[in-house]
Amino acid sequence: MSQQPEKDKNFVPSRRSFLQGGLTAAGGAAVAAIGGGAALAAGTPDPAITELKDWNQYSGPGVDAAPYGVPSPFEAHVVRRDVPWLTADPISSINFTPLHELDGIITPNGLCFERHHSGVAEVDPAEHRLMINGLVDKPLVFTMQDLMRFPRENRVYFLECAANSGMEWRGAQLNGCQFTHGMLHNVMYTGVRLRTLLEEAGVKPSGKWILAEGADASGMGRSIPIEKALDDCLVAFKMNGEALRPEQGYPVRLCVPGWEGNMWVKWLRRIEVGDKPWQLREETSKYTDLMPDGRARRFTWAMDVKSVITNPSPQAPITHGRGHTIITGVAWSGHGKIKRVDVSIDGGRNWQHARIDGPSLSRSLHRFYYEFNWDGSPLYLQSRAIDEHGYVQPTKNALRAARGDNSIYHNNGIQTWYLKSNGEAENVEVS
Amino acid sequence: MSKFLKFTASIVLLGAAWASNAGAQDADAGEKVFRKCAACHAVGDGAKNKVGPELNEIFGRIAGSHENFKYSNAMVKAGEEGLVWDHDSLTQYLAKPRDFVKGTRMAFAGLKKDDEIANVIAYLATFSASAEQAAAEPAPTAAEGGETAPVEAAEAPATNAADAVIPEHGIYHLGREALPEEVAAWDIDVRPDGVGLPVGSGTVADGGVLYDENCAVCHGVFGEGEGRWPVLAGGYDTLTADRPVKTIGSYWPFASTIFDYVHRAMPFGNARSLDADQTYAITAYLLYLNDIVTDEDFELSNETFSEVSLPNEENFYPDDRLEEANFATNVEPCMENCGDGPAEIVMRARILDVTPDGDDESGAGGID
Repeated sequence: MSQQPEKDKNFVPSRRSFLQGGLTAAGGAAVAAIGGGAALAAGTPDPAITELKDWNQYSGPGVDAAPYGVPSPFEAHVVRRDVPWLTADPISSINFTPLHELDGIITPNGLCFERHHSGVAEVDPAEHRLMINGLVDKPLVFTMQDLMRFPRENRVYFLECAANSGMEWRGAQLNGCQFTHGMLHNVMYTGVRLRTLLEEAGVKPSGKWILAEGADASGMGRSIPIEKALDDCLVAFKMNGEALRPEQGYPVRLCVPGWEGNMWVKWLRRIEVGDKPWQLREETSKYTDLMPDGRARRFTWAMDVKSVITNPSPQAPITHGRGHTIITGVAWSGHGKIKRVDVSIDGGRNWQHARIDGPSLSRSLHRFYYEFNWDGSPLYLQSRAIDEHGYVQPTKNALRAARGDNSIYHNNGIQTWYLKSNGEAENVEVS
Repeated sequence: MSKFLKFTASIVLLGAAWASNAGAQDADAGEKVFRKCAACHAVGDGAKNKVGPELNEIFGRIAGSHENFKYSNAMVKAGEEGLVWDHDSLTQYLAKPRDFVKGTRMAFAGLKKDDEIANVIAYLATFSASAEQAAAEPAPTAAEGGETAPVEAAEAPATNAADAVIPEHGIYHLGREALPEEVAAWDIDVRPDGVGLPVGSGTVADGGVLYDENCAVCHGVFGEGEGRWPVLAGGYDTLTADRPVKTIGSYWPFASTIFDYVHRAMPFGNARSLDADQTYAITAYLLYLNDIVTDEDFELSNETFSEVSLPNEENFYPDDRLEEANFATNVEPCMENCGDGPAEIVMRARILDVTPDGDDESGAGGID
């Protein structure tokens, strides 16, 4: 065991107690129970059953103790986390969704990762306007009240930052799927089709592009081709049923389904229609893909088919020893639905079909499970997604062969977790 | 006696007046004002020095005295001459930093409104034990925390719904026509073909002065970048290197992007504060730092903009990922006995050990 317990002080309590349990367990059979309970000798009555607990005996808080409910204090470790060395300053930075603590397909609002370029804009909805100008019959201004009078839609979409897994492009670097894959969330949005708003203003035939612009101090702006704008883009004001969170663009954001998160402009205040792209900072100096010949791809918008095993993973070791075990994870594709997920426990030599459970929606996360009987031997865990168009998630080496070492964005390569016989998992790459 | 000692003496009289007046300053409003400062200064739990020193317990602190922060010589000298941060000295400093401490490294131009200054000082006072004590007498009237908003039935406007005026445009007749002044106020974007450029001009020499005042603190005197702030100049012939340096000169395709971004988003923490002439000047200077223009008298304007092009423009091409081998569709992937022999580990995250855990290691491949 080379893991140092003091290195893990930010990780979950169950991990720390696992490590202590794992250090003393013989033969790799780690037996610490989730929640820190001690192992029991066979035949010893469980005090969780035989002893009277406070909650068995005394009344709890009344209905209004928390007018806006919050998670159990025992879930306090389930939070977004950042990687301080990644960026110059927390005001223009990113944090990560704790994928290893979630199940199903929906990301709770308070856990959706954040990426800001000038901090969280605190916008008064009464003073927020959405303007449509440029190559339209009539430039228009909408209040939030106006927006909510257009026909609404409810759609579940994943949002993935183009730089998700970017730190892994050159090799295994961060220990935890929260850090390697956590620039990802999946939310049900309520909003108005951008097409509906554009038709209200009347797009002129010369209008081939739109510019989406935010109200924050970075004035975030991205050019989007008119075909996409008129297809499935959504101007959303609700997430998972409630108002957008400030850090997700309250009171209104753009959804660009299946395309890189940077285009999903938050605090959306203006849509300009034009005949050419604007070539702003975020689509020239950033979010372009440097290739090995020194040239660069631009307008690489779609997020490709991808998956990751969330449990077990470095932040979520197996604590129960050998026996019946569940591997789970998420899969998604910017091109549509996921058709199939395969799981390998031997580093990609042999593959089995995983079971997809829950809603299968286009451009949304899919949840997969693979159940098997773990004999306690070390494994190399991988998942591989295939979408409805037949795109197959590639290996990291296949991506490097095509794009070199300096591409950063759009890393959808297959992730490997090295599951050790004590139940710990580590981020590795295999031959 | 230096001017700073006079201020320190006067606070004895002012202190009482301020304490009795504490309700007039609004720490909550000051928290919003502080956002202009937050790009460079931290305050509150766990605040650390950033571009500027952290501001906990700023009241009573001798100027230029925070351990571990590298001040300008001017600020250290001011402290040695007796400048202590208190309500009065902060008020004067925040109004015109470079007038009050000539030679300060703080690039911020100053807060123009007196109430903003008062409010941000009230906010900072909440992180200084000594100032909190002085202000404690008249309790602030802010609503107590934790209270639930009262429930009231939402009121409809007093006018009759039938009297609402329905516009004629569109399908749903919602929203209203944007006025030309409103479009002009928001539509400041600039394209590579020059569409959107405002009338104005600025020279390389003017830009150098503005750059040193507004930009160098993060981007470095020569555009080399401080810390992880973006490098703006240099990096030529590095795009095929092991660690490419992507700058305006080495990577960016269009000069219009410089103007657009500086005008809309810079300086960081005080966006939209540079006018068109200043933005032309800074853009000209950035072209100069990248050897795109070489004459200090070069004047960039809406007239001369089309003369400028960036060397890497031709090296961008549209997304062609679909031509990569791994995008071949409907190829059934290998399911059994794939690869050569058993899988073996070739790379481990543990070796690098840069996963956040409270230490200060840093890995490769930062994002900005």
